[in-house]
Amino acid sequence: MTEEAKPSAEKKDKPKRPIEILRDRHGGMSKELKEFFNEQQRVFKAIKTALKAGPKTVPQLAAECKLDSPKTMWHVMALRRDGDLVESAERDGYLVYSLKGEER
Amino acid sequence: MAEIRNRYDALVIGGGIAGIQAALDLGEQGFEVLLVDRYPSIGGVMVGLNKVFPTLDCSSCICTPRMAEAAHHERIQLQTYTEVRSVVRQGTDFEVDLVLKPRYLDEDTCIGCNECELACPVHVPHEFDYGLGSRRAIYIPHGNAIPQKAVLVPGECVFCGKCEKVCPTHCIDFTQEARRATTTVGTVIIATGLQITPMDKKPEYGGSRFPNVMSPLAMERIQSSNGPYGRVLRPADGKIPRSIAYVQCAGSRDRSIGIPYCSRVCCMYALKQALLLRHYIHDVDVTLYHMDIRAFGKGYEQFYRRVMAEGVKVIKGKVAKITEVDNYDLLLRVELLDEDGRVVERRHDLVVLSQGLVPAWHPKGTIDVAEADDGFLLTPEAKVNPSFTTMDGVFVAGVAAGPKDIPDAIVEAGEAAMAAANYLYVARRRARIQEPALVH
Repeated sequence: MTEEAKPSAEKKDKPKRPIEILRDRHGGMSKELKEFFNEQQRVFKAIKTALKAGPKTVPQLAAECKLDSPKTMWHVMALRRDGDLVESAERDGYLVYSLKGEER
Repeated sequence: MAEIRNRYDALVIGGGIAGIQAALDLGEQGFEVLLVDRYPSIGGVMVGLNKVFPTLDCSSCICTPRMAEAAHHERIQLQTYTEVRSVVRQGTDFEVDLVLKPRYLDEDTCIGCNECELACPVHVPHEFDYGLGSRRAIYIPHGNAIPQKAVLVPGECVFCGKCEKVCPTHCIDFTQEARRATTTVGTVIIATGLQITPMDKKPEYGGSRFPNVMSPLAMERIQSSNGPYGRVLRPADGKIPRSIAYVQCAGSRDRSIGIPYCSRVCCMYALKQALLLRHYIHDVDVTLYHMDIRAFGKGYEQFYRRVMAEGVKVIKGKVAKITEVDNYDLLLRVELLDEDGRVVERRHDLVVLSQGLVPAWHPKGTIDVAEADDGFLLTPEAKVNPSFTTMDGVFVAGVAAGPKDIPDAIVEAGEAAMAAANYLYVARRRARIQEPALVH
């Protein structure tokens, strides 16, 4: 056994944490989930950044973030449910969303 | 969580309103009942509905007290997130094989505080809102869920461990695995309920392609005060809809999709939703395109007249095709049946397909009871014993036997409970007769 290999052998003997047991049993995080999760974080960030400049409707957010409108709608509703966004007004038949605490 | 005991008087499969009612009726008569649901909460479809027709009572306000009563009943053991693998007759009894799916937490110590859900970084489409809203990879099914216990979906987990760290009772247990359990029961009631016709059954309606063509159950959630948007908005872009169409018989009375029967509830739920839309959105245009309106229940005809009086347009017309035009609006090609079949095109902001009811579960491979041609359980004595299946001692309640509304499902659940109780009494009497007499 080489010297470099020793630490990993010691690591193997260390009992696994429960979350590691779950991860190993389910084969880790799938590629699809990883992509889905990364994209989700990117969309949330893009929406919040766009709203820092002022309140917007879903079509306005979609255009600014270069996303399709249904996808933007779903993410806006997820942020709204989390309390990050609020409905601040109604404009031309659409609701206008603002970051919480920055309603105008 | 209570362990599965060796014996119960009755097994009720399905914790929707019919299964709950059957379990309560048996429990009240003194029988020990095991109530099994494959989902993490009981309540079935009804707990997700907004209001019920024709009274417009709040649906969950009717459903949740019964859910709570079943959960706290001293003779009913609730077993959620559990699959029934097999039910096999043994004499007059039945051997039952169950799979208890892991929630990845200790149900006895989980206090339903939601801290785990709030800490989880993954948002996924929420089944309870038919994908319109979001939940986390670990979540409590909904605000009215019983039990109020979280459940983790490993396939959606990013294995960050945040839920475990924030849990105030340290109930998270990532090492849990599915468990098998067996028991013996004296009788079985199948109350496995319904699904709606799949949205892609009629591709010409674009149900699975156009975001503003939606299912009636999704509309129930949108109309609910605890729904995904908090108000009625279009899923495509958040627009407040000004013109909404209902397409009747979009998933039943249609041989071309293999569903020739009438689903019995679509006319009434569409009328109810249409009326409520008129209440929720000022001056909204709501149009129902139908073949004929079937308002057959108590107070239903009066409700139909009220809906029309309150401004809902009810047009006898068959929708041939729906296409998406600019801004996610929808163009309906309609044959007007009252105008000699004249074909017109009508533009709407939002379309609800009045989908029919299909069975949520099929017994093949689990229990040897027969299905009818329509896929619902066969009830060979439908006129005189509507809850009897093709197996002695196994009964059916609710929509598992065929499409029906909530009052009919509850009435039939009571009948199924009475028939099951009768079966138990007869089986016990026969068992006593067969016992050898003691000789002194």
